Amino acid sequence: MSTTSQKHRDFVGEPMGDKPVTALSGIGEVLGNKLEEQGFDRAFVVLGQYLLLRKDGELFTEWLKDTSGANTRNATSCSQCLREWCDSFL
Amino acid sequence: MAALSNKSDQEIKDLLDEYGIKHGPVVDTTRPLYEKKLKEAMAKAKVTVTKPSPDRTFYREDQEEVTYVTCQTPVRSEGPSGDGKPYMRSRPEYSERDRVDDKPYSRPEYSERNRVDDKPYSRPEYSEIDRVDDKPYSRSKLEYRERDRVDDKPYSRSKPEYRERDRVDDKLYSRSRPEYSSGRQYIDEPHVYNTPSSSSSYSKPTPVMKSGGVVKKENTTSSGRLIPLWIQFLVFLIVAGFLYFIFTNMESAESSPFNKIQ
Repeated sequence: MSTTSQKHRDFVGEPMGDKPVTALSGIGEVLGNKLEEQGFDRAFVVLGQYLLLRKDGELFTEWLKDTSGANTRNATSCSQCLREWCDSFL
Repeated sequence: MAALSNKSDQEIKDLLDEYGIKHGPVVDTTRPLYEKKLKEAMAKAKVTVTKPSPDRTFYREDQEEVTYVTCQTPVRSEGPSGDGKPYMRSRPEYSERDRVDDKPYSRPEYSERNRVDDKPYSRPEYSEIDRVDDKPYSRSKLEYRERDRVDDKPYSRSKPEYRERDRVDDKLYSRSRPEYSSGRQYIDEPHVYNTPSSSSSYSKPTPVMKSGGVVKKENTTSSGRLIPLWIQFLVFLIVAGFLYFIFTNMESAESSPFNKIQ
């Protein structure tokens, strides 16, 4: 069993639709608020950013840390979550 | 350099390509990130220009980003003839260990042995990785270095002890110590019996350590940081204990000369 959280598995298991940004793995309330302030109020917007960065995990992690003040663990978790979602649905 | 924020998107894109930074389209949301990356790349480029050549002598531990790869084997091969100086020179981490070793005697020989030890710690492979990504690995470098330093203690400890001839453990190290067979400082000691055996082992100190070293190498090559320190210690102690066991067994044979005399 991989070391993924339930949140991660929930997100990666189905199309994200209109899920809020806090549905992303690694993004809790605090980070979610910060992202919404920046205009990323839905998970798909963050997905858009991830795609803009050419699905580069490192770049995305760095961007997320700069934008929302996330720590490395959360940012990496979110990045991995998005990557896996893309692998399945993109 | 003009302020990055004043440049057009296209110019930012060109700069990114120039520095070889992988990037996507430069848009409102991605621009700050790329500007930051460019700033770092420019600062780094500036630093590397002013940085001194990697071959300069390092005597301190503070050089974390030293190119370990350059430190390498060629210098190592030159070192052997018992002159620890050049050896220590080009290697910061190694120099640390030398510093520990310097206190006791016989630095050159000991450094030979350290050299052997270096390999098991898979320094070359480790150092290559370091160069790619300094931050995460520098941390591990510290750990690695710390580990080396910790590991050195048993050796350095044993040396003074050996001199006093009180510790039995010293035989472990004396054996693999070339100096002993060269009759440098230990020749007066009653452990002369070691000479024949040590001379044989002296000619090939490496295999003695290699057995332990290989195991260590596997440990370090496989994970770098993933294997906890205590496991490495444990392996080391097991190997040391094993060698000690061999040595004590060999000692018993040495008692025969005394018997004959009597």
